[in-house]
Amino acid sequence: MQNFQEKLYKYEATPPANVWEKISAELDANEAVKRIHPFRKRSRIVYYGLTIAASLIIIFVSSLFFNKKEPAGGEANSLASQQQNISIATGDDSMNSDVLASIIKQKDQPSTPESLQKKYITIKGPGGQSVKISSKAATLILSADNEYPPKPVWDKKINKWSEIMLSSTISPTATNLLDVVQISSLQTDN
Amino acid sequence: MSSTSNYIPSENDLIQGCINGDRQMQELLYKRFAPKMYGVCLRYAGNTEDANDLLQEGFIKVYKNLAKFRSEGSFEGWIRRIFVNTSIEHFRKKVKLYNVTEAQENTLEDPDISVLDSLAEKDVIALVNELSPGYKTVFNMHVIEGYSHKEIASALGITEGTSKSQLARAKGVLKKSLEKKLNKTSNDNSQS
Repeated sequence: MQNFQEKLYKYEATPPANVWEKISAELDANEAVKRIHPFRKRSRIVYYGLTIAASLIIIFVSSLFFNKKEPAGGEANSLASQQQNISIATGDDSMNSDVLASIIKQKDQPSTPESLQKKYITIKGPGGQSVKISSKAATLILSADNEYPPKPVWDKKINKWSEIMLSSTISPTATNLLDVVQISSLQTDN
Repeated sequence: MSSTSNYIPSENDLIQGCINGDRQMQELLYKRFAPKMYGVCLRYAGNTEDANDLLQEGFIKVYKNLAKFRSEGSFEGWIRRIFVNTSIEHFRKKVKLYNVTEAQENTLEDPDISVLDSLAEKDVIALVNELSPGYKTVFNMHVIEGYSHKEIASALGITEGTSKSQLARAKGVLKKSLEKKLNKTSNDNSQS
């Protein structure tokens, strides 16, 4: 004999005939909805796909934008470190000459955005102090050795500067300066 | 219905046909499982009107979710779970169970209802249907379907203690109803 649990578990009953008719009608209605909106499911996938794609594009463009900005700072840093390297390398006069010569060589080459950044260099002065000068001035300094004779354009520039200095009433001329030195030495003697 | 009366497809053909939206196969699947599932619905619903609604809702869910059936267990068991879950959802919408305290839980006895074995299934069903929706659901889930109190608690959103107390009370009510029924029967027999 079956216990009551089994009896209840296996309990069967005949459902009313109209239940299947209702189910069939509901299935028809669902089919009709599918026919009207055949791409409902697909359009949802397309929607999510487009959202993801748009997000990726935004991330990509942003990364490009920030990467472009970063090298500007990076170049400045590299320039600063280059200047530091130069000043370290310029331990003596011969080293200074090498540095200056390399700058001139670079200047002779066609100008690039990178070479334009190297506008100033740091060299070691006579007292061992660091002196920041324009890379243009390197030509002038080296011309003193006649190793790298100055270009004719520099002759013109130097003549112009000396004329300005001599004609100026504010800046002391060579004669005035000697006078000042003479007066100061006389005062010391007295 | 006459077009499908002589054709007996295999379970796999039936499943595949339903997935493809073959109405004939869907009807065959309904005819094969409807009596058993209607029995489940009647046990949980307690009246034919609600049972009919549950049967309809359950079969629509079966057709919609057939593609998810992985043949890991029995097909009938899979369908039955859908109907039990549909019945639970239906029950949860209608009835709110209140959790009991641990002290209340400890005072409850577990009545012996094995005397139900002597009754015919129709009489047992009638007795079970007299239970309140809360008692009936827990009784059906634990005693008939074999769910643990933990599973019942999770499915109904109650504590395990409440599930146990509902079951104990359901058994108590069933025992009293059964005693009344047996007394009435013995009285009727003695009078005749």
